[in-house]
Amino acid sequence: MTIVVNTPSRPLLPIVVRGCGLAVASLLLLFYLLAPVAWLASSSLQTGREIVSVPPHWIPDHPTLRNFKAIFSAIPGLGASEAPAPDGTNSGGFIPSTAGNLLPAMLNSLIVASIVVLLNLIVGVPAAYAIAKIRFRGRNLALYTVLATRVIPDIALVVPFFLVVRKLGLLDSLTSLIVTYLAITVPFSVFVLASTFEQLPDDLDRAARVDGCSRSQVLLRIFLPLARPALVAVGLFAFLASWNEFLLALMFTQTAASQTLPIIVAAFTSDFTVSFSFLNAAGVLAVLPPAILAVVFERYIVSGLTAGAVKG
Amino acid sequence: MARIRLQSVSKAYGGGQAAVTDLTLDIADREFVVLLGPSGCGKSTTLNMVAGLEEITRGTLLFDDEVMNHTPAHKRDVAMVFQSYALYPHKSVFENIAFGLRMRRVPEAELTRRVHDAAERLEITHLLQRRPSQLSGGQRQRVALGRAMVRQPAVFLMDEPLSNLDASLRIAMRAQIRHLHAEMRTTFLYVTHDQAEALTLADRIVLMRDGVVQQLGTPHDIYERPRNMFVAAFLGSPAINFLDGQLSTESDAPCFRRGELSITLPPGIAATATRDIVLGLRAEDVGPVQDGFPVLRGMVDTAMPTGSDQFLGLKVGGNDVFVRVGKDSAVREGETISLGLNPARLHVFDKASGLSLLHGHS
Amino acid sequence: MAAAVSGRYRLPHEERAALGLLAPLALVLMAVTLFPILYSLWISFYGLNLRRPNRMPFVGFDNYLSVLTNPQFLESVGRTAIFSVISVIAVSILALLAALLLNQEFPGRRILSACLLIPWAIPSVVNGLMWKWIYDANYGALNGALLQLGFIDAAMVWLGDANKTLGLIANAFVWKEVPLASVLLLVNLKAIPADLYAAARVDGAPAWRRFLHVTLPALRPGFMLVAVYEAMMAVRHFDLFFLLTEGGPGGASDVVAWRIYVETFRNLSFGTGAAMSYILAVATLLMSYGLIRALAQRV
Repeated sequence: MTIVVNTPSRPLLPIVVRGCGLAVASLLLLFYLLAPVAWLASSSLQTGREIVSVPPHWIPDHPTLRNFKAIFSAIPGLGASEAPAPDGTNSGGFIPSTAGNLLPAMLNSLIVASIVVLLNLIVGVPAAYAIAKIRFRGRNLALYTVLATRVIPDIALVVPFFLVVRKLGLLDSLTSLIVTYLAITVPFSVFVLASTFEQLPDDLDRAARVDGCSRSQVLLRIFLPLARPALVAVGLFAFLASWNEFLLALMFTQTAASQTLPIIVAAFTSDFTVSFSFLNAAGVLAVLPPAILAVVFERYIVSGLTAGAVKG
Repeated sequence: MARIRLQSVSKAYGGGQAAVTDLTLDIADREFVVLLGPSGCGKSTTLNMVAGLEEITRGTLLFDDEVMNHTPAHKRDVAMVFQSYALYPHKSVFENIAFGLRMRRVPEAELTRRVHDAAERLEITHLLQRRPSQLSGGQRQRVALGRAMVRQPAVFLMDEPLSNLDASLRIAMRAQIRHLHAEMRTTFLYVTHDQAEALTLADRIVLMRDGVVQQLGTPHDIYERPRNMFVAAFLGSPAINFLDGQLSTESDAPCFRRGELSITLPPGIAATATRDIVLGLRAEDVGPVQDGFPVLRGMVDTAMPTGSDQFLGLKVGGNDVFVRVGKDSAVREGETISLGLNPARLHVFDKASGLSLLHGHS
Repeated sequence: MAAAVSGRYRLPHEERAALGLLAPLALVLMAVTLFPILYSLWISFYGLNLRRPNRMPFVGFDNYLSVLTNPQFLESVGRTAIFSVISVIAVSILALLAALLLNQEFPGRRILSACLLIPWAIPSVVNGLMWKWIYDANYGALNGALLQLGFIDAAMVWLGDANKTLGLIANAFVWKEVPLASVLLLVNLKAIPADLYAAARVDGAPAWRRFLHVTLPALRPGFMLVAVYEAMMAVRHFDLFFLLTEGGPGGASDVVAWRIYVETFRNLSFGTGAAMSYILAVATLLMSYGLIRALAQRV
């Protein structure tokens, strides 16, 4: 058998083939990931007339921001501002009178998500530290119980939640959302943070205590600074989960006072008189904050998930 | 500046395994006590209990005359150096050293002075602004020392601080630590598994095994008068030789018999001693044959010159016995030689219990 | 032999500290999660229907029995199973491909990584809206693309076609789940020591064999995690069914989650709704356990 040795000038073909292969694969993946979203964005920039053209215009001929303007300047009460399509198809084409609810709903989502993140950290960090660093009876049981609360499907919780919340008169308030979102996001936070803390050497904890730190001071001065990436990841997850949550918000909110973004968008979706372009514009607005957060903080998200996966 | 007393201290974990059983120890102020033993013997657990890092299950711990059982670690006046150094990765060397003082609200000027003094003493002043990740192992170890020194504590605890250093550095650091002890005039409690380290550093050694104290005494004491076979075997390098045999009486003197081998033993063995005994012989306790001394005869199996000494592996009645002879000894493998044994330097143990028949229980 | 604390029993410091640190978490979870779980269980033993709120007879296991013998419910279980199996398989394959690609070093990989998380990040409502628009029979992008590429001659009905519904919803579900699954597999991929590949190469194994004998086995824990997690998510998924088809057309996408919603919030029969929820919860637990056992045993 002859042994082939690479000549000093490295053979070009395998590199080129690999390069092409990677490029093609990358483009395919990119297309798979982004095409639907790109179409969403493109649709949002089209007029009510253009959007119902067949075949669809992939890139708008006359891109317009009027859908977005309608959202930002909608005064509740004013009706349609678009004529129906000339070919008589019942595509609606109206910008709904409830367009003005979108931004307040976004504000609600923002408030709820932010508070949930804060509470996640306040409740989750001490618990994670205790589970990771203090040897107490029932420590494993505690962690498994916390995780087990997430095995129950949300649907199963909705009914009792609904009854309790109604009895407490908290229907249609942000409080009920905040508390329930906290309960469904905190187990994962505790899990990720406990994994992270566990990886910090026990000796650090001991050294700090000998140096004069009480347990809570160890947490604040030593562990938290060292766990910053995990904290960012946990905050992000909690924020995204709260921002995106639909089922519970559907159950607990009834009026625009407390409705969050997904509810308003869903309302538009099931309204057949709404113009498709407007619908897509609402979608784009709902997508922008989480998408930007995901892209900017991608590294933290991945490392946070990594901590979970390694432990799991 | 503290006298530490442990009275019947025990530590057990939830599963029922006892890490330390009934430890009683009285450490005088400014004494250097070494906790020595193999892994899992409870020495680190004991250190942690003194530091307040582990709860004491039973018994009492006193600093001077104050019961410390329920005082948390951060309120005790102890400093500790860890095997892994445990430096704070996100702080500079200066901040690492200063941290304990900051937590105790030492005024800034005083704090800076003390840190710089310690840094000079340890020759790490040029490293003060660096991060731990930028330091070598030896440098980190000195920062860990500095962090503890600067606190001027009542008790100085060290948990195998030299284990992660390479051999030559370790020996140099031993001297440093002895100097440190002399300068700081503080009680030192030091944990190690290295018997040579214990012998060179300690005022007194506490040798532990499976949570129980085997012997407590000065290095000389423990080395020369081991209370049981474990202690005898643990100290000394190369390890002591053990030979099984029978106790018999010849001409009113106790005697060790093993096949053809008969060795007169030192007086003092209790008359009620059992017949199955073990003879302990250290490698260095052999010499040329002399009148009146018992003789050990064996065949040289291996000869290992080490430059300064020569070690011989002998076959004595089927057993391997390791002895040290002068480097000029011209013995060759396969030869049979005779060596003189000084009865005063022999150790005798009861085979069943492992306890010494010569050195009582103090 | 365990030694007791001398004198009166006092909770050791450690445990007291731990209790204090865990108290807020315990409080939140017990109040918000544990209590509803138990309350819901209690309701499932009663015939509670909000149309007749004053009557709440104790019915024992009747609710459970009537649910388990209800043909509509059983059919929905079947559909849920089909949906879940399709989804888990599709997610696993796509996530594997994506992870393999992202494990390579090439310029522009960072961009790909950043974009990877976008489907994961967007709200499920928007996901629903987006795909509903793509699947639209009149103006949707799917018809438009297929027509332009010449794969079909005339616009097709998608969501309205009972045969295609589950598959289409699964596609939307999978699209949003692939990023997370890819990351989980990527973590495993990155942990494979390069030495294993070197050894295989020295042994003369070509690329496809290395993949089969080094990569895939090392990915088993990752696949297990992905399979279990995605199965759990698929079985309980609600949002897309609500947004895209509302269980239609003609019940073609009537899955268990939708059944529970209808029973509870449209039929207002809380008792049977709760019973369904518990059946789903127990089934999920058993399924997860079973999957873990099955996948972990394939030595």
